[in-house]
Amino acid sequence: MSLLDFARGPALEWSLLIMVFGIFWRLVGTFLFKGQVYLSKPKGTRFVAAGLRTIATRSWPDERLERTIRFQHYSGYLFHITLFIVIFLFEPHIEFFKWLLGFSWPGLPTNAVTFAAAVTVATLIALGIRRATNPIMKSITNADDWLSWLVTIGPVVTGMMAFAHQNIGIRYEDLLGIHILSVCLLFIWIPFGKLMHMFLLFPGRYQIGEKFEFRGVRA
Amino acid sequence: MSMHQEMEQTFQMFMGMVGELGKLAQPTDMPDSERVARAKKVFLEKTTWDIATELEGCIHCGLCAEACHYRIGTGDAKYTPAKKFELMRTVYRRELSPMRWLYKLILPDITARDLEEWQELVYDSCTMCARCSMICPMGIHIAELVEYTREALAEAGLIPAEIRAMQQMQYETGTIFEVSADVMEFKVKELEETHGIEIPLNKAGAEVMVLTSGLDIMLYNDALVGTAKILNHAKVNWTIWVDSFECANFGLLSGHAATLKRQADRVIDAAVKHNAKVVVVSECGHAYPALRFYGAEGWGKPLPFEVMAPSEYISKLYEEGKLKLKKPQDRKTVTLHDPCKVGRHGGIFDGPREVLKAMGLELRETENNHMTNWCCGGGAAVFLIDRAAELRQRSFEIKFGEVKATRADALVVSCGSCRLNFERGKMNAGETLPVDSFAQIVGDNLAS
Repeated sequence: MSLLDFARGPALEWSLLIMVFGIFWRLVGTFLFKGQVYLSKPKGTRFVAAGLRTIATRSWPDERLERTIRFQHYSGYLFHITLFIVIFLFEPHIEFFKWLLGFSWPGLPTNAVTFAAAVTVATLIALGIRRATNPIMKSITNADDWLSWLVTIGPVVTGMMAFAHQNIGIRYEDLLGIHILSVCLLFIWIPFGKLMHMFLLFPGRYQIGEKFEFRGVRA
Repeated sequence: MSMHQEMEQTFQMFMGMVGELGKLAQPTDMPDSERVARAKKVFLEKTTWDIATELEGCIHCGLCAEACHYRIGTGDAKYTPAKKFELMRTVYRRELSPMRWLYKLILPDITARDLEEWQELVYDSCTMCARCSMICPMGIHIAELVEYTREALAEAGLIPAEIRAMQQMQYETGTIFEVSADVMEFKVKELEETHGIEIPLNKAGAEVMVLTSGLDIMLYNDALVGTAKILNHAKVNWTIWVDSFECANFGLLSGHAATLKRQADRVIDAAVKHNAKVVVVSECGHAYPALRFYGAEGWGKPLPFEVMAPSEYISKLYEEGKLKLKKPQDRKTVTLHDPCKVGRHGGIFDGPREVLKAMGLELRETENNHMTNWCCGGGAAVFLIDRAAELRQRSFEIKFGEVKATRADALVVSCGSCRLNFERGKMNAGETLPVDSFAQIVGDNLAS
């Protein structure tokens, strides 16, 4: 079995299985705890609206808070948007999703996706340097942060290498195999580390919106 | 001696007494293993689905560091709010998380040394003001997690000595600063004579039960006098019950759950016994949430009366047209501080502003107000901790810088702890801006 066959065969299948089961396990294990019991009279009454509003407002913090976090905020947006383009709007990736899900959607020209990938890598490197050098970031960084960084930047870099295989001098099939294996690592790590924030983001924002609505406060 | 000089002298005496508090604390010694076991028990009991979501969610983005007055004031990364709930997160991950089988292998358990180290992080350098809770992109209510960490440390016998002395005193007697019912009654009579006002005690059938505090009796009795003037002016049927007058709750301030419940129950039982329809706490920031948002939970059923902060009740009286206000002679412009426990934790923002404007005052907002208001730096009993003096002052300077920039004639505050911290901070900084109580400035400017 070639590296590529292994990568897109058992490696991909098992990593997908681990990811799906792991995400399900972690979400169910988190949400099955009992809730807080409130006996005090709430000040606000529109809990669902408050939760939904906070999901939206945390994307655009109050200007007075925003001005101190501009770099983190905009680099975060830049990284997530370009990564989204790379994952979901690159034609070969759309083929993969068609195989997985049974349907497809239009993609972007390859040059546009390559540019997005370069921006993703550059932004991740900038954020990585910041995490390694900024005293605040250093004080709260753990192994999960670095592992999550590594398994995220890995597939983008290997994907770009596969795309530019003629210049590198390694066989396309081998580079593609390495790329798919790096994606498998990402799939496997998602349920274990902080990359789960993609699923916890909205419930987290929703619950704090509700909590502050109880106190009559717009969070 | 002028009233101002008298106040200064009382303030100095009071601060001298605060400085000696730590010596009064009873020891809470126990083996390290017991400390850890007790702290972990609290963390485990406090984990509900929303808390689990928060503990699972932190991505270590560091945004909370940019919202914290202690982190910014000192420039020290160790005060980053995300770090402050790390003990609870560790216990959660190892004991409850769906991935605990993995974390047990790779994450070391918490130790008694960790608990001791966290004392500074959750007591000295956090007022649970919740400004960081407003910025977290993952929706983590960091202040609530710090509150639980305080509770865990309290169970482990690690409340800082000054706060512990107050908590122990209140657990036993229900009062603080040794202000007993007799002392309160004596002081109230004295205030009635000095100010020519009536402060009704033990008035049967009173609908509104007003609470005061040892802090107000000892130091800020102008707030009590102001409240009395307003309630009498609005012809409110009110009283202070001698059997339960203390609104301060050092259970909430210290994290000592048994004291929180015991003190809140004292007030609730008295309010029920005396058929109060409304309980108005004094200008004591945390006293409001202690009764309003924790009272029923401890008591075990919904409260049969309303709980209101004085600024909230005064605003209600104004809205109902029961207050005739006039413009102060010595103030044209003021700025209003939103105390964390009344504002971000209680939703009281606009009412007091409307009252101040109705008095003909020009209200000058600090750059950060309402939801983004900076904490004074001394709330949540930080004002009592001797070793936290530098931390308090650095964070005070952030808020006071904005206050000074308004060029207002005075700063108006509706929280005794904030007021105390402003008074002390400005004294340290050589500033002279007057700091008014909200109840006092309204009470002094009622039109006949």
